[in-house]
Amino acid sequence: MESKSYNPFNMAQAQFDKVAEMLDLEAGVRDLLREPMREYHFTIPVRMDDGAVRVFKGFRVQHNDARGPAKGGIRFHPLETIDMVRALSMWMTWKCSVVDIPLGGGKGGVVCDPHHLSAREQEQICRGWVRQIARNVGPVQDVPAPDVMTNSQHMLWMLDEYETIHNGRFPGFITGKPVGMGGSLGRTEATGYGLIYTLREALKEHEVDISRTSASVQGFGNVAQHAIRLYDHLGGKVVAIACWDQSDKTSYTFRKKGGIDLKELLDITDKFGGIDKNKARDSGYEVLPGDAWLEQEVDILIPAALENQINRDNAGKINPRVRFIAEGANGPTTPEADEVIKKNGIFVIPDFLANAGGVTCSYFEQVQCNMNYFWEKQDVLDKLDSKMTSAFSAVSELAKRKKLYMRDAAYVIAIDRVAQAVKARSWV
Amino acid sequence: MEPKNLPIDQVLVVLRERAKELNCLYQVEEVLAGEEVPLPGIFNALIRTIPSGWQYPDICRARIVYRDQSYQDEDYVPTAWRDSAEIREEDELVGSLEVSYTREVPGVDDGFFLLKERKLIKTIADRIGQTIFHRKLKRLLHEWETASRDLAEKKNREWMVITELVRRTDEKLYLHISRKMIYYLFWNGVGEARQFLGKFGGEFVKNEPEPEFDANSPSFKQSREKLIEISDQVFSIAARNLSDNEILQCLQKWIHENKISFLIKTIDSGGTALSAIIDAILRYRAIAGDRMVLAPSTEKWLRVSLIRRFFSDTIEFINIAKRHLEVSDFFDLVTRIIFHAGSNGKLGGKSSGLLLARHILLKQPDEEGLFAGIKVPRTWYITADSISEFLRHNDLEDINEQKYKDPEQVRIDYPNIIQLFKNSHFSSEIVKGLSMALDDFGDKPIIVRSSSLLEDRVGTAFSGKYKSLFLANQGPKQKRLSALLDAIAEVYASVFGPDPIIYRAEQGLLDLHEEMGIMIQEVVGTRVGPYFFPAFAGIAFSNNEFRWSPRLRREDGLIRMVPGMGTRAVDRVSNDYPVLVSPGQPALRVNVSPDEIRHYSPSWIDVINLETNCFETISVIDLLRTYGEEIPAVHQIVSIYRDGHISRPSGFDIDFKSGDLLVTFEGIITRTTFIRRVRSILTALENGFGMPVDIEFASDGVDFYLLQCRPQNTGEDSAPSPIPRDIPEDRTLFTARRYISGGRVPDITHVVWVNPRKYGEMESLEMLTDVGRAIGRLNAVLPKRQFILMGPGRWGSRGDIKLGVQVSYSDINNTAVLIEISMKRGTYSPELSFGTHFFQDLAETGIRYIPLYPDDRDVVYNELFFTGSRNMLPDILPEYAHIADTLKVIDIPGRMGGKILKILLNAELGESIGYFDEPEAAAESSIVRPRPHEAHGEEYWRWRLHMAEQIAGQVDASRFGVRAVYLIGSTANATAGPDSDIDLLFHVDGTREQREALSVWLEGWSLSLSEMNYLRTGYRSHGLLDVHMVTDRDIENRTSFAVKINAVTDPARPLSMKRPAS
Repeated sequence: MESKSYNPFNMAQAQFDKVAEMLDLEAGVRDLLREPMREYHFTIPVRMDDGAVRVFKGFRVQHNDARGPAKGGIRFHPLETIDMVRALSMWMTWKCSVVDIPLGGGKGGVVCDPHHLSAREQEQICRGWVRQIARNVGPVQDVPAPDVMTNSQHMLWMLDEYETIHNGRFPGFITGKPVGMGGSLGRTEATGYGLIYTLREALKEHEVDISRTSASVQGFGNVAQHAIRLYDHLGGKVVAIACWDQSDKTSYTFRKKGGIDLKELLDITDKFGGIDKNKARDSGYEVLPGDAWLEQEVDILIPAALENQINRDNAGKINPRVRFIAEGANGPTTPEADEVIKKNGIFVIPDFLANAGGVTCSYFEQVQCNMNYFWEKQDVLDKLDSKMTSAFSAVSELAKRKKLYMRDAAYVIAIDRVAQAVKARSWV
Repeated sequence: MEPKNLPIDQVLVVLRERAKELNCLYQVEEVLAGEEVPLPGIFNALIRTIPSGWQYPDICRARIVYRDQSYQDEDYVPTAWRDSAEIREEDELVGSLEVSYTREVPGVDDGFFLLKERKLIKTIADRIGQTIFHRKLKRLLHEWETASRDLAEKKNREWMVITELVRRTDEKLYLHISRKMIYYLFWNGVGEARQFLGKFGGEFVKNEPEPEFDANSPSFKQSREKLIEISDQVFSIAARNLSDNEILQCLQKWIHENKISFLIKTIDSGGTALSAIIDAILRYRAIAGDRMVLAPSTEKWLRVSLIRRFFSDTIEFINIAKRHLEVSDFFDLVTRIIFHAGSNGKLGGKSSGLLLARHILLKQPDEEGLFAGIKVPRTWYITADSISEFLRHNDLEDINEQKYKDPEQVRIDYPNIIQLFKNSHFSSEIVKGLSMALDDFGDKPIIVRSSSLLEDRVGTAFSGKYKSLFLANQGPKQKRLSALLDAIAEVYASVFGPDPIIYRAEQGLLDLHEEMGIMIQEVVGTRVGPYFFPAFAGIAFSNNEFRWSPRLRREDGLIRMVPGMGTRAVDRVSNDYPVLVSPGQPALRVNVSPDEIRHYSPSWIDVINLETNCFETISVIDLLRTYGEEIPAVHQIVSIYRDGHISRPSGFDIDFKSGDLLVTFEGIITRTTFIRRVRSILTALENGFGMPVDIEFASDGVDFYLLQCRPQNTGEDSAPSPIPRDIPEDRTLFTARRYISGGRVPDITHVVWVNPRKYGEMESLEMLTDVGRAIGRLNAVLPKRQFILMGPGRWGSRGDIKLGVQVSYSDINNTAVLIEISMKRGTYSPELSFGTHFFQDLAETGIRYIPLYPDDRDVVYNELFFTGSRNMLPDILPEYAHIADTLKVIDIPGRMGGKILKILLNAELGESIGYFDEPEAAAESSIVRPRPHEAHGEEYWRWRLHMAEQIAGQVDASRFGVRAVYLIGSTANATAGPDSDIDLLFHVDGTREQREALSVWLEGWSLSLSEMNYLRTGYRSHGLLDVHMVTDRDIENRTSFAVKINAVTDPARPLSMKRPAS
């Protein structure tokens, strides 16, 4: 469309080009990898509740499946966003590659707004999507997952339709299913734990005793809570947590210099993930302005809330003691802040890698489904641990060897692996 | 029995006797058969015949005694040898038959008579009795035949039968109907009647018989006979001039009416006391039962009278009510009214609405059984004029002046008035009535609601202005009674409170006489642990003013429901959300993803604590964990959230202790007829009332209860505004025609406009996110609720930033209106979000939403205004100057010469307009009183802000060494409540003495403000200012509160001072 406007796909390609340059990839490989290999665009006619028929547009982009079946979410969104989807499918390829799971990258969706659709209509859309694309997706071809405005119910409808068409039970076709219907145990903890596994490895590599470290966390949602739990368990001390207060519409940082008590805080947390500040105060926590988490005198910062939280305005306020940042959120650090962080020599575990616990667990779900055998939670977490650990070592080792910034090293490893795969198959 | 082998001569003897008896019988029959012969003759003949049947006929004599008359031979003498039998006419003993021998006879059997003879005499006596009776009947038949023949001669008119009957049985009634007949004839122009009236009319009227009691004086009787005569003549005239049918109908009507004349007379007379009316109605019920015994016109007239008497005089109400209410509907009502002697009976608006609604529903055709189960909780009423009686009883009439006093004065007086009322007495009739009511209620919790006369006027929303009080109603009767009296006194006092008086003054209703009826209603619910509450409750609207999807139509309606008491659905509460469903399209939900559902499900529940006798708000989760299974219908109320997936619980087992349970009402919505029922109710009531309605309902898990019904005159903030048609184009900012709700926003001073085209052309992700961030900052800085946000569709999108401005609710929560602009891209217009990402937040705080489709025909979108106006963004937020191309902040008064922007929305027309106009007057008074269109609670921070600005403006910088003044805390965040402090931050750089002087100066302010706050809100505090001072060093080191200055989030808000510090 408009040529100069922000185009996420161009941005993704530019990112790739930079790394391809670093890797000195051949032209053929670059050409292959900077475009999605397959794109499907189709129409889904649905009879609405009032009898009228509406035709929805659906699509699926498979960026690259050299390393394994494509993996990526399905989103419902009302505006045509094919560039965004292309970009996301590409990022999925790199993400699966960096954590070294045998999957490629893909993304798809339907142009619709579930807020304006009844449950029955949404079901029709899900099934319709599968009917259109059933030939080209499957447990050994392309494995979808939930994404923006889709959830486990949609996944179940899609699975059901797929199984009807292909006449069998193929739970490995799609992930994000509820436990008991093919979902994997450990899913809720996966991202948070994964984050701490990488952090643990990072500390080990730097010969820092985790039990003598302190951390400051931004966010108190699912990822943060589990991360804190594991970090605590390993001996670390979380000193401050920043979270959002729903009634005051602002965020606060809750600090206890001796270390917060997770259980105590969970007891006074509402379902929005907000900590009751009066009760916290009564329990001896200091209530500071929301940004204070960043300025704490700790060793580790864990942004696990929203994007762009560490930016050019506040990057300078990071306490000199901070040596590690483990990005639990997606894109919490802006490029400008990155410069400041790099200058200060802080070791960053990039989001790309650090929060890959989720997609890894997704892969485990797929594996268990394909075997039709489901592991105990501890098994899942143990396997997650070993996967994240080895992924981290690979990246870290490359960064050290080639003197790269961790974020760049992660991309390099990811793209390189894919490049190797396409070459191994003699596609190029 | 005779032995078989008897000698032949004995047999002959027996046979001979038998023959004699038979003969006798035949002869007796012959005599009796003589119909023409009068009875004496029969008897005489009999006594001669009867002896022949006996053994010794020549010495046998007979005698018949009938009704003291004796029929016998002259020489008859009763002897020792006699027999007798009774003569009976039917069962009545009228005489006897006697037979005796004149001489001694040989004994036989056990006497002197053969067994057969004894039977014979009885038989004859019976026959005589039957004959006498037979004759009597014949006589009657003959008489009747004669009478009928006579009538037949008079051409056999049915109505004559009636008049004859009446004439014989009820003379009073006869006179009454004859009087009516003569008037009727007169009105119909019958000449004879006119003459007749002339002749006898005077007598007629003069001697009109009293309907109530019998006068037995002779003179009266005499003229009565004359009147009867006259009446007979009347009917002859009637017979000659009117048709039979006509007369018959008239008679029937008058006779029926006469039966209930007492009722009509009582009701119609305006001055009749309520007790008399109630008695009359109950009498009528006893007489008429369920049958309708009135002529239709009478019945209608009666109905209207009752409606006028109890409910309302307004013609609109009567028109509606008379179509749906019947006289029998009042029967139950009158037994539950409490009143004082001399009360006129009006019950007030709330009661009227509920009763009318109930009866409309009862009369609906009900194929699906949806209306059958609807209940109304037991309710007792106190008449509206009881409050006047209360005042009179306690010599408090001058309280009525309150409404004309100053608002401040009213506020000061109000707590005293409450105490005064609580210590006053009710008349004994009221107390007795309430005692009866309490007996009826038992010890269930009750609610005392106001039902004022002014509430029934269409177009006024008195909701919340008068009090409603919950009473736990536990304990000994005396205690409950005094609690109830207390509550009623408090509700009465609320009539004289500042809020209603101010509201009435604004609506121009101050001079109208306001009286307050009371509705005492049983609270719907069950007991769970120490709490009492309904399984769920809420409010339902015919029209949905807050549509979250373009697929919803206004007529689809809206239900707001909550667990527990409906107070949390009726009022808007902060930080909690009701569950919203549209009955017309229940499949279209507000929240679709599990996280949204979780986020917006109710967290708190209102209950009555029966042990502490208090109304409490408790956490839903705590309640579920403690009492899970005991809560009625809990399986249909909650859903289970697990691993990002929400499912309905299996009916069997729910893990209350550790499961993550959410209140979603999923079971109720999808598995019961609740939605269909509410929809049917709303439709039926809308048709019945002729206008949209809203209803309050509750359920105890088993039954559905209707609690209240009123016309949906809508809240003040969503009333349709008339759309002015004559605004010139250059003063119009935009018009819109699609998906409009209601309301008006009259005083916008700033517009924040995101240029849709430029936004789409932005080059980098950073810039796009900056737009979102800048808006968040503007939200904190611009005057609350006086700016609007306009931009390309889908505000609040997460994910793809190009699809919409990336903000969260907290970045936009101070705006007055959120406007999404849909501009065509190529061939299609992108779908707007309707605010769905934070819909419930918008709804609860009253932020309006308007979708604009500038490419539509017939709508105005003044793009030139946007592109051509000066952008204030670089001035306010210099750090975002680089996106000034895309994001514009326009100062409207500055640009339009003092005018401000007004936005009016009219949902009924489906139109909305934003145009520039002079600001509305009364800017100062809004400081004192809350603005009518504001959401609740706005006035507190506004006033505090104003005061803070005053202080800053007046502080002498050089005298006190003040460099800058900032506002922080709840006033800066616009979350101040009535008891909040004003948090001020002073940047000082003077000496210690200057600092102390400043403190003293501020203390004076603080105490004065505290007093003013008390006058405004009734909250007392010791000083309203919370002062912090920081020095240059603090700022440098960013210690303590200095950190708030120029903070990124929640910054201190600078206030302008008179002179800049040197």
